[in-house]
Amino acid sequence: MRAKIDTKKYMLAFVVTALVFFGALLISNRFSQKRIEEIKSIENNIALDILASETQFALLKESSCRTVDHRTAFSEELNNLAQKLSYTEENLGDKNKEVIDLKKYYSLLQVKDYLLVGKINEKCGIKPITIMYFYSNAGDCDDCKREGYVLTKLREEFPEIRIYSFDYNLDLSVVKTMKSIYGIKNTLPALVIWDEAYYGFKSPEDIEKIIPQLKKFRAAQEKEKNATNTSTQ
Amino acid sequence: MVEAFFSGILYVFLFITLYLEVFFLITFFEERLALQEKPHRTKLPHYPSVTIIVPCWNEEKTVTGTIHSLLDLNYPKEKLKIFIVDDGSTDSTWEVIQKFAHEPQVALIHKENGGKHTAVNLGIEKTNTDLIGCLDADSFVEKNALIEIAHAFNEDPSMMAATPVLIVHNPKTILQKMQKTEYHTGAFLKRMLSPLDAINVTPGPFSIFRKEVFEKIGLYKKAHNTEDMEFALRMQAHHLRIRNVHTAHVHTSTPGTLYKLYRQRLRWAYGTMKNTLDYRFMLFRREYGILGTITLPLSFFGVFIFLYNFGFIAFHAIQSIIEKIIEISTAGFIFALPRFDIFFFNTDFMAILAYIFIGLALVIIWNGTKLAEGRFRPSLSIFYFLVFYGMVAPLWFCRAIINIILSKGTKWR
Repeated sequence: MRAKIDTKKYMLAFVVTALVFFGALLISNRFSQKRIEEIKSIENNIALDILASETQFALLKESSCRTVDHRTAFSEELNNLAQKLSYTEENLGDKNKEVIDLKKYYSLLQVKDYLLVGKINEKCGIKPITIMYFYSNAGDCDDCKREGYVLTKLREEFPEIRIYSFDYNLDLSVVKTMKSIYGIKNTLPALVIWDEAYYGFKSPEDIEKIIPQLKKFRAAQEKEKNATNTSTQ
Repeated sequence: MVEAFFSGILYVFLFITLYLEVFFLITFFEERLALQEKPHRTKLPHYPSVTIIVPCWNEEKTVTGTIHSLLDLNYPKEKLKIFIVDDGSTDSTWEVIQKFAHEPQVALIHKENGGKHTAVNLGIEKTNTDLIGCLDADSFVEKNALIEIAHAFNEDPSMMAATPVLIVHNPKTILQKMQKTEYHTGAFLKRMLSPLDAINVTPGPFSIFRKEVFEKIGLYKKAHNTEDMEFALRMQAHHLRIRNVHTAHVHTSTPGTLYKLYRQRLRWAYGTMKNTLDYRFMLFRREYGILGTITLPLSFFGVFIFLYNFGFIAFHAIQSIIEKIIEISTAGFIFALPRFDIFFFNTDFMAILAYIFIGLALVIIWNGTKLAEGRFRPSLSIFYFLVFYGMVAPLWFCRAIINIILSKGTKWR
């Protein structure tokens, strides 16, 4: 006599499977939510730091040039934020409302940092290297991904460079203003280096030609590296 | 949109796969007490008479070990006959087996080559014992394997056939080690299918039958080079009970190279699908129980589900590799130690499902290893199985589907 089909067992297996399956979905959503909260928290911290820095700069005027190292301030935090935001955008999709809100806030923070850097430049006589990068991930920019790789590498190699990336299609008045100030056309990717706009893919070599200081930075880095090696021997 | 469509199909397939794993684990939970039974029998109140047929075709290297393992069985000699049937070997198999001619239990039979099933059939026709079994000439039985099976036959008069737990013999290459864990998972699944009357194959290494089975449904017949599967399905079609005796252990040789493994698995995959098609009248039929509703659909459609899931993963893996190549060719290789940040730990839905599947696979491997080896020991075999099996199995599954479409058969070797 063949073992009979136990309908209860089939049902139990179905219920357990459904619980596990939808449990996985819930857990995944919970983690995504936690990520968004973490990004929000980082953004808030950076906003607070920028405000503090602006206030400090306003209070101390020129003397802040000596007390605060503005060359790399917020650079690392903004890079870290950019990486996390990019990862979240990849996972949740660029149409996700919360991702769009985070990107808007991130764009605002970048502009604030850009303005602060401008003020420092003016008061302290420092000329930081800034690159503004306009991209699109709406499928109309074949080279944007490659340009992103190049800029990520530059960021890692030269922390002194401040790279601000803006989604060309982001519906945010500040981004629109930036686009109009620099007259950015819809021929992406577009880079703004020292107030001049460059269109199309730019390789690391192209960027080094535009910014000759990068060679000096590299030479300084190598010198420092050699000095460290000599002192440890 | 296209991505969402393909992901949707994948989710349905993953749900089905998860359902089956849960189903088997619930069965495992039901069977947990029976599984604690360890091999311990040294004597039986009744010893049924047994004939073991060893079909050989060019097995000069392994047949001696096979016969020795049979002679060493813990079973009364007068109750056990061993038929060595040389199926027209072209090597020195016939000469090699002559050294057993003086053994009173052993009968040496020579015939023209006609295929494994003809050799087994010849042996079946020549005997009249209570139980008749087969042992491939590249397999080796443990001392108590037969007494365990005989005990199971004594205990359950409705049991018409018994299959043992198969263990990979002396795994040396990475592929053999991979198969070792694969056989462990197979041992677990076979044991789970046993109480559900849903076993769909009585493998060549040491499947034992009551003689009534052959009287009732006839002998082996040619069936896509997987006659042992056809025979099991014919038994199931006649509602004859097949049980797995997890306390009986048999060691079997496995292919050591990818090409040999491919040939063997192509034969198995093609045969499984063809036999399932031949017995399609049992598909989704309640009167054939779990066999009709789970085992047979899984045997046929499982191949497509496996290939679809593999295709999806492979597509994304290739996409990632291409992106990495573009990144390196664009920006150069950046050597940086990876910074650990829990933020970047993949927790999307698909990743969490993957963790669950790996977890369930480990539960199955753990219990399969315990069935085969008595206790769980972590080994590289598990790693090889988890990493490589998914990469190599599509080779024979794809070819099996092509062969079915083209109606092209397979070869034994």
